[in-house]
Amino acid sequence: MADYVLRRILALIPVFFFVTVVVFMIVHLVPGDPIDNLVRIGVTPEQKALIAARYGLDQPLYLQYWRWLTLVLQGDFGSAIVLRRPVMDLIRENIGYSLTLGGLALCFSALVGITTGAIAAAWRNTLVDKSIMGVVLLGSTVPAFWLGLLLILLFAVTLGWLPVSGAKHWTALILPVVTVGLGGMALVARVTRVSMMDIGRQDFVTLLHAKGVPAWAVQVRHVLRHALIPVVTLLSLRIGLIVGGSVTVEYVFARPGIGSLLIRALGQRDYPVVQGCLLMLAMAVMIGTLLGDLVQAAMDPRQREESR
Amino acid sequence: MTHSTSRLKLALLSATLACGVALAPLSAAVAASEAVFVFPNSHNGAPTLNPVKTTLDTLAHELIYDRLIEQDADQTYHPHLAESWESSPDGMLWTFKLRQGVTFHDGEPFNAKTIAWWIPKFAGTDNDYLVAAVDKVEIVDDYTVRFVMKHPDANLLYNLASGFMGVPSPKAYEAAGDTYGVTVAVGTGPYKLDHFTTGVETLLIRNEDYKWGSELAANRGKAHIEKLLLREIVDEAASYLELKTGGVDMVVDVPNALLSQYKSVKDVETKALPSYGIFYMPINTSAEPFTDLKVRKATALAVNQEEIVSRLYRGVGKPAHTFLISSLPESKINPQFEIRHDLRQANQLLDEAGWKKGPNGIREKDGKPLTVKLWTQGDTEFKRMTEVIQAQLKAIGMNGEIGVFDVSSIRDQYKKNQHQLAVRSYGWNNADILDWFLSAERQGYPNVSMWKDPKGEELRKAALTGSKTTEERIANFKIYHEYVLSQYPVVPIYEPDRTLAYNKTRLTVPEKIRGPKFTAASIIDTKVND
Amino acid sequence: MSLSLKTQGAATLRLLGKPFGGIGGAICGAGLGLFIFVALFAPLLAPYAYDAQDLARIGLPPSAENWFGTDEFGRDVLSRVIYGARISLSVGLTAVALSASAGILIGALCGYFGGRFDRITMAAIDLTWCFPEILLALVLVAILGPGLNSTVIAIAVAYLAQFTRLTRTQVRALKGETFVEVSRCLGAGHAHILLRHLLPNALAPVIVVAMLTTGDAILLEATLGFFGMGAQPPTPSWGAMMSSGSAQLFNAPWVVIIPGLFVALSVIFINVYGDAILAALDVKNRIRRA
Repeated sequence: MADYVLRRILALIPVFFFVTVVVFMIVHLVPGDPIDNLVRIGVTPEQKALIAARYGLDQPLYLQYWRWLTLVLQGDFGSAIVLRRPVMDLIRENIGYSLTLGGLALCFSALVGITTGAIAAAWRNTLVDKSIMGVVLLGSTVPAFWLGLLLILLFAVTLGWLPVSGAKHWTALILPVVTVGLGGMALVARVTRVSMMDIGRQDFVTLLHAKGVPAWAVQVRHVLRHALIPVVTLLSLRIGLIVGGSVTVEYVFARPGIGSLLIRALGQRDYPVVQGCLLMLAMAVMIGTLLGDLVQAAMDPRQREESR
Repeated sequence: MTHSTSRLKLALLSATLACGVALAPLSAAVAASEAVFVFPNSHNGAPTLNPVKTTLDTLAHELIYDRLIEQDADQTYHPHLAESWESSPDGMLWTFKLRQGVTFHDGEPFNAKTIAWWIPKFAGTDNDYLVAAVDKVEIVDDYTVRFVMKHPDANLLYNLASGFMGVPSPKAYEAAGDTYGVTVAVGTGPYKLDHFTTGVETLLIRNEDYKWGSELAANRGKAHIEKLLLREIVDEAASYLELKTGGVDMVVDVPNALLSQYKSVKDVETKALPSYGIFYMPINTSAEPFTDLKVRKATALAVNQEEIVSRLYRGVGKPAHTFLISSLPESKINPQFEIRHDLRQANQLLDEAGWKKGPNGIREKDGKPLTVKLWTQGDTEFKRMTEVIQAQLKAIGMNGEIGVFDVSSIRDQYKKNQHQLAVRSYGWNNADILDWFLSAERQGYPNVSMWKDPKGEELRKAALTGSKTTEERIANFKIYHEYVLSQYPVVPIYEPDRTLAYNKTRLTVPEKIRGPKFTAASIIDTKVND
Repeated sequence: MSLSLKTQGAATLRLLGKPFGGIGGAICGAGLGLFIFVALFAPLLAPYAYDAQDLARIGLPPSAENWFGTDEFGRDVLSRVIYGARISLSVGLTAVALSASAGILIGALCGYFGGRFDRITMAAIDLTWCFPEILLALVLVAILGPGLNSTVIAIAVAYLAQFTRLTRTQVRALKGETFVEVSRCLGAGHAHILLRHLLPNALAPVIVVAMLTTGDAILLEATLGFFGMGAQPPTPSWGAMMSSGSAQLFNAPWVVIIPGLFVALSVIFINVYGDAILAALDVKNRIRRA
């Protein structure tokens, strides 16, 4: 296993370099530049050229890339051009918000998804099952921003129970967490339900029933426990999305976070910030995928062999 | 509230009750003399509170720092940290008498030495143009300074009154180095900085020693509100909801499209602010068919400013018939140059120019249809206006194909000269905006009209650098402004009203708003109700 | 990266039971058919032109005259929703068709030839998995410029990796089967084996996944539209309608709610009907074998 882990980590190194090239190129391919977002009414073209030179924007792209890469390898993302702060500081300021929202949403998906999935499986093919799965299906097919807007309309405006936006108070987290969490919840509920039904058909379950173990105990202690294996895999794979998976929701709820920072910086072509954020997101996904694979490999040794 | 909305809300309400969720209602009540304001949208994302280096001056800058001079809504100038000033007849010397007894938040005194240190700090920054005409600052005595000019600058007072010209504490500024404006910001203003997070919020605490308010404020002493939280909310609808639900106490600068909604909320009072900008349509004078003056004029006359104000904005704001905001004296030009809707003449001009009506109502010339690119940026307000302009151009047989870009992309397109018509806006209260958008030295961007006209250049230079006094500058800019409008490189559309909305049970806001925008003077006078 | 979020998403398909088989599938199939019909015959069905402004009738609630009310330009929301079906469905379908075709081609080549070509190509394609779809699509549209074509391309790229991976896995699994060996011994060339033997057998699951992805693509188009990318005004797409309506959410909520409902309905129809087909064709077993 240790050998497998090491191999997987080493395999990420070339991917990382590949990602840095793509991130850098993609950002510079977007038309426009940050200078016009820096200057104010009255600036002469010569002054603009001076500013561009100050940030090295007049140099060839490969030199700019090289300078950025060497910085990144030293753990520094450089300085924002329009926002005029070290990119690391900006990310540090925002990442907490993203982690809280994404993490809580993941917990919400897991708890509510497993519960509803298990209930649906226990009463399979009844009205309970059908209505639960119907609601779950609805939750995964509506656009997140739309759901967010409707939740605001209902809970914040009509009822006045929760704040509309921002991140000042913990209550401001409830609506965004539900909005982000519902999509993942649908997937978890569906997987739990099917997995429990698969396990329920196995011989050992019949045996338990025959031995006179109460039905609820069979379902909760035995079936659910075994059925959770694919669910855990699924959840571990979603870890990577914690940071970047809620851009639209951050936008709708006017929450700070990496997504909001990225969208704003992209609009202003603040290259170092966009590069830094994209690289962070990519690294989160890479690490999340790695964790997911490791969880799976730990549970199913065949996986280790296959990837050889 | 219409019948169907209440039905919808009822349905939503019963759905929630069915969920059986019970949460305690949130109380928005804040302690007595605290208030939460939402920044004007255009102030969002300011990177630093360093006035010398920032590219965006915000309400927070205005509150932390004082300026030498303040400007009023009618564009007149009033003393603040400078008690009086005078200039030599040739405009080469300016003498300022400074107010005595002013101290910075860190206890440092404010005097002539501060100014002599401060002005040279602008050299090499993006804001250096503000004092570029100043050659050096001489200390006459402890409270008198003299600016020796490189050349006359009839715009010096305007520049000194701008938000970038807030005076920072030399000691704090030098001590903090690059972090000045992010972690520390020290001025002489009515509020001290508690903390600042870019794009999120700024928390300000009242300066208890403040007793040098400008004459724009009724209250010359310390502000009434002890703690002021300034929030940045990008989504316009979210700001509205926050005010409606009591999450914030004031939204500075309400979008016109939402004004009627704000007005319908109980407890919410709205107040008109001086206007500060124009929506307009630049015409690319270098692109066919707009190289033809007749086509440009026809396009300009097709725009129905009155319809946009009355229908799209339901009477909020003013139609714009010149390129400058109406409070500027340079906007009072000979009415014959104003651009006004005239459908008949527009159609006649296109006929004369050889564009004949085709079968589907779109004009044609030499077999080519009159289809042009009509571009704008992604914000809701621009898209709304552009769609109406598109419909208005159809009435003269011009087919505008809308393209929506983000702000940076569209600038790139302008620089590559890919555009024909665009819908844009600017916010500025000085006639030199004409130079910025129409100077032949800045073709592409910001001269989106790609306008290059020898006579225009001559008049522009005369107005910008040839004027020695304020009166001369106004006269010269009027002539330039009239000539610009006669050549149709831009079509003025709309002068939006700027509006403040606040919770009247929480706040009392002064009757008359002084200053070109809602700024420190008015905030000092704002009270929190008991 | 040997495994990823999205193949996992696709792989969970095999775990789906059939709570919506039978009658549900039939209803959703009919609903989908109705949407396609509406999209095809939009000009005949819409009561008004989608771009007919009437500034005197802004933001009116639903009534006998305008069943879904009017929007911020006084345009009929029903007519715009009907035309919007055209845009949303066609963008979803073309994007997925483009993505699937490219994915099948690349995936088949990678799976068949293997080796260094396979490794490098797949590494490049897997990179798209490092970013959330919406961010990837937003950046791509910014690069390509506004318009429906760039939306289609951006969505296609966002789903490319999923189709490539799936096809590659199928082709690799089938490559070892006896009938392929036999064919090769009989002297068949690469092209013949790929086109006659491997692809026809590998295609079924890809097609089903493509069908289900169409739902996601419609959602993604709506989200891009919400951010102001995609269809250029006055062309109505459901996402663009919600975007311009969101400023008026509180005095004209129907402008936002109704297009959103149609997005949700179309995605539900596609997913449930796709599941039903999946069950009927028993492709699940093939996916499982792969």
